[in-house]
Amino acid sequence: MKLVLDNLTKGFGEFVAVDHINLTMTNGIYGLLGVNGAGKTTLMRMLCTLLKPTGGSIYCNGKDIFEMDGEYRNLVGYLPQDFGFYPEFTVKDYLFYIAAIKGVRPAVARKRTNELITKVGLAKAADKKLKKLSGGMKRRVGIAQAMLNNPKILILDEPTAGLDPNERIRFRNLISGLSEERLVLLSTHIVSDIEYTANEILMMKDGAIVNKGTLDEITNTMPEKVWQCPVPQQEVSSITKRYKVSNIKTDRHSVDLRVISAEKPCETAVCVSPSLEDVFLYYFGEKAGDDNDVL
Amino acid sequence: MTYFELKKIFLKPVSRIVLTILAVSLCVVSYFAIGYVDYVDENGNNTIGIAAASALRDEKNKWAGYITDDVLRKVLQENALINNSKEYLSKDVTENNKAYSKKQGFSDIRDMINRAFGSFQSYNYYRADSVTQEEISSFYDRRTANLVEWLKSDEQENRYSEQEQQFLIAQYEKLKKPFYYEYADGWAALLEYAPSIIMLVVLTTGFLAAGIFSDEFQLKADSVFFSAKLGRDKAVAAKIKAGFIVVTSIYWITVVLYSGIILTVLGFGGAGCAIQNGFSNWKAFYNITYLQDYLLTVLGGYLGNLFILFLSMFASAKTHSKALAVSIPFILLFIPSFLSGISVLSEVLGLLPDQLLQVYTAVKTFNLYQIGDRVVGAVPIILTMYFILFCILLPLLYQVYRKTEIK
Repeated sequence: MKLVLDNLTKGFGEFVAVDHINLTMTNGIYGLLGVNGAGKTTLMRMLCTLLKPTGGSIYCNGKDIFEMDGEYRNLVGYLPQDFGFYPEFTVKDYLFYIAAIKGVRPAVARKRTNELITKVGLAKAADKKLKKLSGGMKRRVGIAQAMLNNPKILILDEPTAGLDPNERIRFRNLISGLSEERLVLLSTHIVSDIEYTANEILMMKDGAIVNKGTLDEITNTMPEKVWQCPVPQQEVSSITKRYKVSNIKTDRHSVDLRVISAEKPCETAVCVSPSLEDVFLYYFGEKAGDDNDVL
Repeated sequence: MTYFELKKIFLKPVSRIVLTILAVSLCVVSYFAIGYVDYVDENGNNTIGIAAASALRDEKNKWAGYITDDVLRKVLQENALINNSKEYLSKDVTENNKAYSKKQGFSDIRDMINRAFGSFQSYNYYRADSVTQEEISSFYDRRTANLVEWLKSDEQENRYSEQEQQFLIAQYEKLKKPFYYEYADGWAALLEYAPSIIMLVVLTTGFLAAGIFSDEFQLKADSVFFSAKLGRDKAVAAKIKAGFIVVTSIYWITVVLYSGIILTVLGFGGAGCAIQNGFSNWKAFYNITYLQDYLLTVLGGYLGNLFILFLSMFASAKTHSKALAVSIPFILLFIPSFLSGISVLSEVLGLLPDQLLQVYTAVKTFNLYQIGDRVVGAVPIILTMYFILFCILLPLLYQVYRKTEIK
């Protein structure tokens, strides 16, 4: 499976949401990182044929996806950020319905639905109405519906948003397990989700891919160093004013700061390996802290 | 897919409420329609229901047959005889009712005499009492003469062109005479209340159909729907099919139940009589029977339901708004009522889709249109026009929905 984004652009009036992206993706998990408004969802919607680009093209194994139409959508599984459902449907009804609109034959749909319900841990809730499920259970239904047609391209937009830590770990493992022989594009604010699962990371800013590579490649691109600085409480303010601080951990007697800086920020500072969170903060700056789920 | 679309519609709590309201409305309208036919017994007591309808049918069918001059004279004789009875002349209402109970059998024919010998635009209940045996032979001619007199009156000057006037006169002349008469009160009552039940169906079904094309957006299920393999073709067609099944099944179940109840209680007789028999449709220029009027009414109602509800589905597919979809049937039904007082708009109002829901009323209305050299009434025009518009609406709805972009 090979997806090629050729000069892909999407504008809404004067605003350019996706700006001339050139990218090639093959099988594996791609983590799409970016702040709110970076254009991640617009990009994913174009990849799902929900939006038509205003410029450029998307090719799947050499064919334009909009010309492929249903043939391409047959290869796609999509879990949108705002995953809506039909509240009066049971989990089974909902999955049977989605299987029908995905063109899965009824006999196959029944088998596949039962398999996926078990896989996402919803066997006991299979006959429950969707409106009665918890947020985590609904996300699990979401991933199940995306997998119904055994997609070769799986597009997951903020799949772990709103999940508790246990659910997130479970979800991450599930996604890792699904990544064999398919292309998974995973967008999230939660840096650790990508850190743990993605083979390749795409960093998106103002509609463009500003950086891409494996976790090591990405962290190596950062020209500044990361410092672990235990400092007294009274020095915190002056350091945070002068440097980018990716973490502040307060103990009883001192504060442990994680500082991104080319120079040693204080006498006690020790140089440590950069994490993806540090890179995220470095590239996206203050905006990275605007959203609750960023770190 | 269509099965699941139907399931989506009928599983909603609002759908159950709406269907309950429709069932209650059906009972209420049926009650009123049954009450439309009453019988006054020999003691002067007024009754309604199966027994009353049966008794009235027996009385009226004593006069069943062609309304010839002889029959009309006999009606005048009987009428005069009863008018001279002590019950009729009494000042006691119950006594008067006893006298009326003897007139019930020929009351329809008496009404027609009142119509024929009165003026075109007014009705005098006592006119038959003064019609002479000599005059009565002009009964059928009077119908056309009244029309001609009305068309030439100052009140109607310039309303109808010469060609339209000739059309109306020709239609009157074409009506087969003498009329065949028999008890047809079941059909008359059925038709009288048919527009009410048809309008209730369109308003209530509007709530069910409104969500078919907008729920995905309201529930944020649109991305999954349109990114699915069949989300832009067969799944859209399934929605259209579901809409068609909902509109068709609710309409025909309601209409068949309503017709069945009314005709079972009030009787099926008189289906082949011209609608001009009796009081209500004497002036109508459409030369049709009660059965034909019923078929036009229910088929027109069905077409009206289809057009109005698919228009509301089209609006919801285009705007993604359920509220707009629900309000479209209300707008199309009630705006013309507010404008009906403006006479210059009568020709336009006669062609609006609400007319399809009340073909029974449209049949009685003198709305004429000239197409080339031909003059036609509103009914054939609206039936043809809205059938064509409905056929255009279906592919438009399909195209608009399948090309939806999720922004």
